[in-house]
Amino acid sequence: MNKRLLGALGTVILGVSSIIGIGTYVASAKNDSRVLVATAAGTMDTPQGKLPNYTLDMSAYPDSLAGSHGKDGGVHPDWVTYGPVTNFQVPAHSVVTITIKQYDSGARITNDFFASVHGTIDGTAIVDGVAVKNVDPTTVGHTFTIHGLADAKSQLFVSVPLPAVPDDKVPDSGYTKTPNVVTFSFITGGAGDYVWNCEYPCGDGTTARFGGPMSTQGFMSGNFKVVNV
Amino acid sequence: MSDMEVQKRPSVFKEKDVRQTALLTVIFTVVIGYGGSLILGHVMGPPASNTMATTIFMMRAFTWASAPIAGLVAAMAVISLFSNRHSGDFPPPEAEHQIRNSPRLVALWLVVSSVLCLFAVVWGSIVLQGEDEGLFTAKALNVSVTGQQWVWNFDYIDNGTVRSANLYLPVNRHVVFHVTSKDVIHSFWIVQMGIKIDANPGYVTETSVTPTRIGIYDVRCAELCGLLHANMQTKVHVVSQADYDAWIQSNGGKSS
Repeated sequence: MNKRLLGALGTVILGVSSIIGIGTYVASAKNDSRVLVATAAGTMDTPQGKLPNYTLDMSAYPDSLAGSHGKDGGVHPDWVTYGPVTNFQVPAHSVVTITIKQYDSGARITNDFFASVHGTIDGTAIVDGVAVKNVDPTTVGHTFTIHGLADAKSQLFVSVPLPAVPDDKVPDSGYTKTPNVVTFSFITGGAGDYVWNCEYPCGDGTTARFGGPMSTQGFMSGNFKVVNV
Repeated sequence: MSDMEVQKRPSVFKEKDVRQTALLTVIFTVVIGYGGSLILGHVMGPPASNTMATTIFMMRAFTWASAPIAGLVAAMAVISLFSNRHSGDFPPPEAEHQIRNSPRLVALWLVVSSVLCLFAVVWGSIVLQGEDEGLFTAKALNVSVTGQQWVWNFDYIDNGTVRSANLYLPVNRHVVFHVTSKDVIHSFWIVQMGIKIDANPGYVTETSVTPTRIGIYDVRCAELCGLLHANMQTKVHVVSQADYDAWIQSNGGKSS
């Protein structure tokens, strides 16, 4: 076999190997595969009639010592995170009621559009027992914002602000005993794959504080799958 | 070869392979021009604004204008590969009619290439100038667009305090978008309306368009902006003026 052919063959093998290597690395670094499936909870009267109701419970923590990262917080124990997991699965054409316990402090949100409730039934959320359409934009802890692709599937946009825990109620260690409890319900359309993320800039100092946990799935963002049942 | 022999040499256009190349160039030009236009129409879909219609027309015109160049390159490649294959360290004797011995062909190539480039620059500048003038339309609807990782939101500043994550626009009314970002650089792109402009943190950029077709179209981010960039998409609903007013009022705003 002449040298030219060997060189060409070597180049092809090297290129293919590089692509396989990059693909393997990206696949291994992808999102946490654990999924929290919504629990059936009877039916609910809605503007669209009586629909099956499903619930999801989660929390927003000021660090990664809780949630899915283990007791030592994993590789980034100081990163804020949602838990117990960040991937969710809910049924299509149903009411989904989400309850979030919010343990973190906060400050002014950079875009007060996300201090308002969007996409829920009646446009409200229940914050510590009180129905609200928005929260004070100067004391937002996090948001839970679901959105997706502009494809032919059902569009789903839900965004709910989570008020901050006052600084004087955040203990030096551990979590506050009185988290803000936010509950909201929305109606899913057809099946589809969506994502969710926090819209309060709670990341590290990079990318306008949207870096670190804000830009890493498994912390302040994840997948939200709507499936046919 | 003496000077006398060079002067007596027949025109390159009488060479067999040059005539074959010319014939193939014409065939490839038609195939590339027609095929390109067909694919363009399929990929870009029906336009939802005159801006997009102009864009599609321009792209078709540029496709046809550049088709002869692509056709010539393809023809020469085919002829070289299948008709004029030659092994060895030196060109064969019949390769004497090379282009470097034909100043007229070189000049023609340079002039055609220059005209095509100027054609693109001049036409593009005229269209861009028309778009800029659209920013100063007196009765335009003003919409503020804010990009943030990884969601768009819209403020209808002529209609009170109405805000939304999906964009609503009345048909056949000029709209001026005031675009900004809360974090990194995004790019506001309404695909079927053919407008796209950067959303820069701390700055407001402007673009405008007149939607001409009722329907639902796509808004996307066209600047790689982080983890969920691919999901930074939403819909634009183009509706009648009456439906737009009703939507505005149902969201607590006033008609404009």
